[in-house]
Amino acid sequence: MSTAPVVFVVDDDPSVRHSLKFLIGTVGLHVETFDSAEGALQKLPPDAPSCLVLDVRLHGLSGLDLQRQLAERDCQVPIIFITGHGDIPMSVRAMKAGAIEFLTKPFRDQDLLDAVRIALERDRARREQGKELAELQSRFDSLTAREQEVVSLVVSGLLNKQIADQLGTAENTIKVHRSRAMEKMHAQSLAELVRMMEKINRLLKKPS
Amino acid sequence: MSSDSTSRVNTAFEDSIPEAGASLESILCTEELQRRPSRPPDYEKENRALVALMSALADSTSTIFQTLADTILDITQCDSAGLSLLTRDGQKPDVCGRRFYWPAIAGMWNPHVGGGTPRNFGPCGDVLDQDRTLLFRHFERRYPYLMPVIPAAEECLLVPFYVAGRAVGTIWAIMHSDRRQFDAEDDRVMASLGKFASSAYQALMNIEDLKFQVSEREKAEAEVRELARGLEAKIRRLVEANVVGIVMWNLEGAITGANEAFLRMVQHNIEDIASGRVRWTELTPAEWRDRDERAITELKTTGIFQPFEKEYFRKDGSRVPVLLGGALFEGDGNDGVAFVLDLTGQKRAQEKLQEAQQSLYATQVELAQVSRVTTMGELTASIAHEVNQPLTAVTNNANACLRLLARGSIEPDVLRQALEEIAADATRASSVIAGIRAFIKKAPAETSQLDINEVIQEVLALVDHELQKNRIAVERQLTRTLPLVTADRVQLQQVLLNLIMNGIEAMTAVTNRPRVLWVQSRMDESGNVEVAVRDSGTGFGPEEDRVFTPFFTTKANGMGMGLPISRSLIESHGGQLLAQPNVPHGAALSFTLPAAA
Repeated sequence: MSTAPVVFVVDDDPSVRHSLKFLIGTVGLHVETFDSAEGALQKLPPDAPSCLVLDVRLHGLSGLDLQRQLAERDCQVPIIFITGHGDIPMSVRAMKAGAIEFLTKPFRDQDLLDAVRIALERDRARREQGKELAELQSRFDSLTAREQEVVSLVVSGLLNKQIADQLGTAENTIKVHRSRAMEKMHAQSLAELVRMMEKINRLLKKPS
Repeated sequence: MSSDSTSRVNTAFEDSIPEAGASLESILCTEELQRRPSRPPDYEKENRALVALMSALADSTSTIFQTLADTILDITQCDSAGLSLLTRDGQKPDVCGRRFYWPAIAGMWNPHVGGGTPRNFGPCGDVLDQDRTLLFRHFERRYPYLMPVIPAAEECLLVPFYVAGRAVGTIWAIMHSDRRQFDAEDDRVMASLGKFASSAYQALMNIEDLKFQVSEREKAEAEVRELARGLEAKIRRLVEANVVGIVMWNLEGAITGANEAFLRMVQHNIEDIASGRVRWTELTPAEWRDRDERAITELKTTGIFQPFEKEYFRKDGSRVPVLLGGALFEGDGNDGVAFVLDLTGQKRAQEKLQEAQQSLYATQVELAQVSRVTTMGELTASIAHEVNQPLTAVTNNANACLRLLARGSIEPDVLRQALEEIAADATRASSVIAGIRAFIKKAPAETSQLDINEVIQEVLALVDHELQKNRIAVERQLTRTLPLVTADRVQLQQVLLNLIMNGIEAMTAVTNRPRVLWVQSRMDESGNVEVAVRDSGTGFGPEEDRVFTPFFTTKANGMGMGLPISRSLIESHGGQLLAQPNVPHGAALSFTLPAAA
């Protein structure tokens, strides 16, 4: 599993495509170029942190069409739009749909490189967050049903005695379940366990 | 007396009795009159008789011939007396007649009234032929048709009488026995009575003539009256039907009569007309008086005036459009009649049509504007994209090189390749610009020889609605006798439309002075046709030099391409487009076009 970031460039003009690859390459980033939205779709989403530098006006699917299709696939790769003749409604639409930046050609090189850097940062963060959540989720999944039940009641603020009353068992039994669960979740304190459960709950509540 | 029986008798005489052989001489004994002992003249009796005849002529003309016959009988103491008149038809006296007829007979032959003799073979004819008094004895010996006319005439004294020197008849006295013989005194008296017969005949003929004339005139008048009654009824029907307005007037301006339809049109009542308060001169708005004068001139020369359109004031001061035509009555040439048609309906329809046309024009102008803006917008976007692609590549490549150079880590091959790409993309950008220029210059032109004034009028018609909507006055200063120009009509229209629309737009914000658009055509010093469009708008401001720079605009939503394209079009026609400030306000755009060879 490669972790080197990659920049996808989609522009149907070969000169622009090559020049973008050359420019972005000067900051040591790996660049992959595509002459159409359809071509780019086949390589998305990648395993590594990545971003899209996308021309609005393309043959076939437009840049905005590609943005919509990626959203439908829950592919959250950050997008930097570039256009030869952008208008305000078009850029508003793109930004609302989550674009990082909307640049009008010809643009300042620093503006593009900054946008690329931000986009990759964001993708990397998103990916790490996703990885941590997956880890937490797998730890939580390793608990027994009773242990999960006890953890849920603990983070809601109940005392061991109250939990024992509610589950109709002895307080000592609850103490054993609780210490096992803390160990499995790698939680050093009650506060850490609460933060972990919040992250998991946010993930569970999030509509997919 | 019956003409039927007369003709029967005559026919019987002439057809059934063979011609006799007796000669005229054998039946005449005129000379004996002078040899016979003559009775003394009785002047008193004769005078009385003549006076009586004269008064009878005055009193009762219809019986004058009978009175004459009676008088002859009385004075000559004969057995029968009468007169014969030449006729053409057997009835009416006629100097050229073919027959004699007997209108009156006294004495024994009285039953034969209405009979007669042929002109060319008979005693009366003989008398006219010889033009003197003749005495016959038993004339039936020569003229057998007289045989049945009984009792037979022993002697007959026949005297011709004349009118205007022509013999028209005879008077006669007959003895049926030898009781007495006619003598010289009879001859004299008969001659005297013959003169009376002549007067009586003339008087009678004149009276007949008069009667005839009178009756003819009465007949004619009756016919005219009949005709007039018919015509009047028809005309009254026309007037009262109120299908059209009918008005009677005189040249002084009075209205002497009008029908309901006319009154309705001008909203007056019949009392207004009758009182003379309403005069057609006052019903007519001032600007139509000249037209009325022309109609009056026409009336005076031809008696009629051809229908024309004008307006009348209604009583409430509003106006009614009418069609008017009329004629003078025969006579003093002062009175006349006219028909008046209310054109309100037609005018309204016409206005609606015009409104429809106006809105059509407006739509066309809007369409032209929209398509102009759309075309310009698309053109601009297209230009931007085409030019920006290579420029982006150039910028990216150049910046990448700079970055690598700054780091000191660029390899010559990489640098060379980047520079090659930069050069290629720069060339590409400039060729895009060149292509656009070529496209504008090469815009397909369909040239023909045009009257520039026509093109100006077409474009002004197109923007008429815009001008009205923005309350802009147009001052046309078009020189009529300009040479034609060789040009593409559509392109010229586009240029003019562009200049005029610019002028209109520049004036929409003007509120403190009149909004005027001047459109002028003239020939310049070099013999070129020059068109100038000036406005009293906001003008170019301080950036006058840049008006032909592409994408420069002083308008809120302008594209900045109108004037550059217009200039290209005019230059492609071999002309020039110039922009100058207008004095004291606004802009003056003018272009020249060479006159067609």
